[in-house]
Amino acid sequence: MKSIRTLLVVMRKELRDIFRDRRTLLLALGMGPLLTPILIIGLGTLGESRARSQIEKPLELPVVGREHAPNLIAWLEGQNVVIKAPPKDIEAAIANQEEDVILRIGADFPRQWRKSLPAPLEIIQDSTRQDAQIPGKRLQALLSSYGGQAGSLRLLARGVSPGTATAIQIRHTDLATPEAQRGRMLSFILPYFLIISAFLGGAALILDATAGERERQSLEPLLATPAPRGAIVSGKIAAACLLALSSLLLTLLAFKLGALLSPTVGRQMEVSFTAIAQLLLILVPMVFIGTTLLTYLAASAKSMKEAQSHMTWLMLLPMLPTIVLIVNPVKTQLWQFAVPFLAQNQLILKVVRGEVITAQQWAVYLGAGFGLAAILWFAATRRYQQEQLAISG
Amino acid sequence: MIEVQDLHKSFIAKKTVVKAVDGVGFEARDGEITGLLGPNGAGKTTTLRMLYTLMKPDSGKVLVDGVDVASDPETVRRALGVLPDARGVYKRLTARENIAYFGELHGLDAATIAARTERLSRALNMEDFLDRRTEGFSQGQRTKTAIARALVHDPKNVILDEPTNGLDVMTTRGLREFLKQLRGEGRCVVFSSHIMQEVAALCDRIVIVARGQVVASGTADELRAQTGEENLEDAFVKAIGSEEGLHA
Repeated sequence: MKSIRTLLVVMRKELRDIFRDRRTLLLALGMGPLLTPILIIGLGTLGESRARSQIEKPLELPVVGREHAPNLIAWLEGQNVVIKAPPKDIEAAIANQEEDVILRIGADFPRQWRKSLPAPLEIIQDSTRQDAQIPGKRLQALLSSYGGQAGSLRLLARGVSPGTATAIQIRHTDLATPEAQRGRMLSFILPYFLIISAFLGGAALILDATAGERERQSLEPLLATPAPRGAIVSGKIAAACLLALSSLLLTLLAFKLGALLSPTVGRQMEVSFTAIAQLLLILVPMVFIGTTLLTYLAASAKSMKEAQSHMTWLMLLPMLPTIVLIVNPVKTQLWQFAVPFLAQNQLILKVVRGEVITAQQWAVYLGAGFGLAAILWFAATRRYQQEQLAISG
Repeated sequence: MIEVQDLHKSFIAKKTVVKAVDGVGFEARDGEITGLLGPNGAGKTTTLRMLYTLMKPDSGKVLVDGVDVASDPETVRRALGVLPDARGVYKRLTARENIAYFGELHGLDAATIAARTERLSRALNMEDFLDRRTEGFSQGQRTKTAIARALVHDPKNVILDEPTNGLDVMTTRGLREFLKQLRGEGRCVVFSSHIMQEVAALCDRIVIVARGQVVASGTADELRAQTGEENLEDAFVKAIGSEEGLHA
């Protein structure tokens, strides 16, 4: 009872303290809600318009040896392709990103073609270049379509049904659709933004209330009062969590507003109020984990400067699972919902894509998330029991 | 009433053991002002920190109103008003809010806090700045705020670590009167200082600390008798064995 009272007293004081520090409050509360929707919607729109223009606008194609296959060139020109003269140094042109993709027609193309043997064509591109991927795929699709047509005609001329040669039929779905492009961008950036604003949303307050309080020499008198130390530190954590949650709620609402204003995002993503409630539930454990971890670190730091320098690696931490998933994509499995950052990442994507999260997944996730937060909270309160902590300077 | 028996405390700094307090013992009675006098680094602050439960002694015992600090620190903290060496105040809160925060942490209700704040602000002469935010306060205003917040729960025993540090003459005089007032109310007042004149002017009993040990203690007269010096200043110098800390 007394502990709860102390917790509330400390929480109220810390909130009052930060509410009088207008500039810090504005940054802590306003940055996320302002920046996140702009970034996400802006990037989404940009990615979409770029992909669309690459797909729809005429493909500029330098061709080496165009004289060897005039029929092919004529056909390509009929397919929204503009044939250009090849650059002098082909490799340099690709390396310098002057050209996205170059077609080379071999000298023995006419001879092979006339003999009805496979005629050599070469597509030259840099496959690691994001920008060259769509032009490369377009060219490939065009060439195989041309090859297929020519092959069918040859079979017909010999009185064979073209279907005989086609043992299997593959339907190719081009992944480079605008939706997928933007989806990929969002799947990388949205979880990171939401996770980091939950993870570090209370940082300004908690660093100031722990390391800052110690540096300003007001911790020693505070700890000389009969108030239980566990309750004091819990009150500080509670105040920081409240601030982080408010910032998060504002961010999500701003996101909703952004989706209403920008139809491109709203069309592809689930941003109903139910989805927002789900996102909030996903991020609540993250708020507690981040704030308690910061409390633990800041309580052991000798100065505010040392405490703040932890922020650098803490900012990178939420990115780890995203990077790991890019390098080594894995299918969703139940254990993943117990791994911090990875779990949030997966769950946020599920919500945004409108997929269903099962009760079992929720249970594993919330259990693991709040469990970790409880352990970190306990560690932070233990730090406050230590003798050295109170002695400042 | 505070009884201190044979306190020891050492720290490990860069692999060498520093004995900060090496056998300090004294008694501070109710209705008296006891001064802990000693040069900088003599172990005064560490001794006081063990009195107000912030540090655990390696050995030795502290009793506050008969309660052992080691076994029941919470009761001891309720019976103590502490002005530590670190006396930061919350700069975005007013002086009144600073005091009220500590009152709430002591579990006092709003009416009691208001009444005590009124009384303390009159006694410490802080009516002018009571409702101003403490950002930009002078050293004296900050110290007064810190003292008022340390005494809001009306403690029987008062511990002040170098209370006059950095204060001007007028504020120091006012503070001395305030300490005498506390003594007049029957409280046990312990304060530390490295300024001999201050201790001489104010204290009923003087405990001289040097190198972590009590080198002499008693009333001013007793100290003069113990050292065989007529002058208190000479007695102090003889006790600590150097002229260090003689002047402010």
